[in-house]
Amino acid sequence: MTGGEILGVTAVGVLAGVDLVSVPQAMTARPLVAALVGGWLMGHPAVGLLVGVLLELFALETLPVGAARYPDWGPPAVATGALVAERAGTTVTAGIWPVLLVAVLVAALAASIGTWSMHLVRHANGAAIRRYTDQLERGDPKALIALQAGGFVRDSGRSAALTLLTLLPGGVLVQVLSESWRAPAVVAEGIVLSVALGAGALSAWRLFGRGATARWLLAGLVAGCAGVLLWA
Amino acid sequence: MRGGPPVGVTFRGVPGFVVAAARLFAVQSAWSYERMLGIGFGHAIEPLLRPLRGHGGARYAEALARQSRFFNAHPFVTSIAVGAAARAELDGEAPERIERLRAALCGPLGVLGDRLIWAGWLPACVGFGLILVAAGAGAWGVAAFFALFNVVHVGLLVWGLRAGWRAGMRVAGALANPFLQRGLEVVGPLAALAVGAALPAVIVWVVRGAGMGVAWSVAWTPLVAAVAGAGVFAAAAHRIGTRLTALSAAILVLGVVVVGGELWP
Repeated sequence: MTGGEILGVTAVGVLAGVDLVSVPQAMTARPLVAALVGGWLMGHPAVGLLVGVLLELFALETLPVGAARYPDWGPPAVATGALVAERAGTTVTAGIWPVLLVAVLVAALAASIGTWSMHLVRHANGAAIRRYTDQLERGDPKALIALQAGGFVRDSGRSAALTLLTLLPGGVLVQVLSESWRAPAVVAEGIVLSVALGAGALSAWRLFGRGATARWLLAGLVAGCAGVLLWA
Repeated sequence: MRGGPPVGVTFRGVPGFVVAAARLFAVQSAWSYERMLGIGFGHAIEPLLRPLRGHGGARYAEALARQSRFFNAHPFVTSIAVGAAARAELDGEAPERIERLRAALCGPLGVLGDRLIWAGWLPACVGFGLILVAAGAGAWGVAAFFALFNVVHVGLLVWGLRAGWRAGMRVAGALANPFLQRGLEVVGPLAALAVGAALPAVIVWVVRGAGMGVAWSVAWTPLVAAVAGAGVFAAAAHRIGTRLTALSAAILVLGVVVVGGELWP
């Protein structure tokens, strides 16, 4: 990956990272969007889309509710979309599955680190607010602007760091571990699909498996299976 | 009431309405555990309080200080509280009444947004987007997800600001809006339906080459294995309980498999 590509992926990672909480919560932080853009930056949006769909199944349980701690999938998804697209090259073959397996693991680890990085930013915001208490109690609008800007800068720095962490050490891990993978590619394929579908099913069950929505979830599953059979 | 509304302040005439709406998109920028959305609330409402700046600016400063204190609700419907609180300040309501209004809105607006958006509209849009991708729409499916979600996001934010401004201290009536109530009834089942249909659709889409015309190693065997494996994974994680998130379970399983793949004979 060239310096320009790293810079481009990091810039998009920052946009995805600040979108989760700070601004504008337009859902560019969802892996479906973020990984597609990451792949597109490396000239292979279809691979980015594949990564995005797989990561989205893991991210289904991520609902950014208030003070709760939740993983940040945006920057890792941008970086992983770019990494897999770069490794896939121009022709995608079954050999991509070990790369996808390690990339999904790297993205999941980075998303977990994202949880803690957001916690740190929130504490830093609190410390900044305490420094501005007098101005805030005097109703000084400049204090509000300074705090909002400070929060944005901290979140941007956090997002850039998370993208670079996924892209650089994560990229080395993806390269080394996928190249030294010795099992057949079909094993990686089966495991990635099992875990992604299992995570998606578990999240769907936790979100909708109780009360009035349970029968709608079941109806959706039946409709989805019927649609797949008819389509095939 | 302390002096009544400033002359000429109507909804159409509020000069800071567009700026306030734009600032509401960044209402969580300075989110902290102490004030939560308080700073963003103060930043968003500030343009609407500018008509109070006359006569030495004391009312403006008092109002801004009050509006920057603790506030917590769903970010998309915080606009309702911003509109209502701004109207109450401009109407000259007593400070303690305004503070009670802000405190009273936190819970209902939090529940409303969480049910309507996080547990409803967001998963519904994700499910719909995934179905479109699986049906061959490619990046257009992602674009549809993005557009669908944000039509409601922007619409709710702007509607909330207007509704709050119109209602002022009587903002509870805005929450009983029939469209909003109907939305709450419909969005949960819609989301469950969309996510349920998306799961088999995307997994078959991936197995069939993810729209790239690639025939993976063995087409249907991994699908059967994946469904069985997914069942085992989800059941095990469910049995352990909510302490184990899907993410942590996935890290554990994928980590073990990566090591296994390296040691494969």
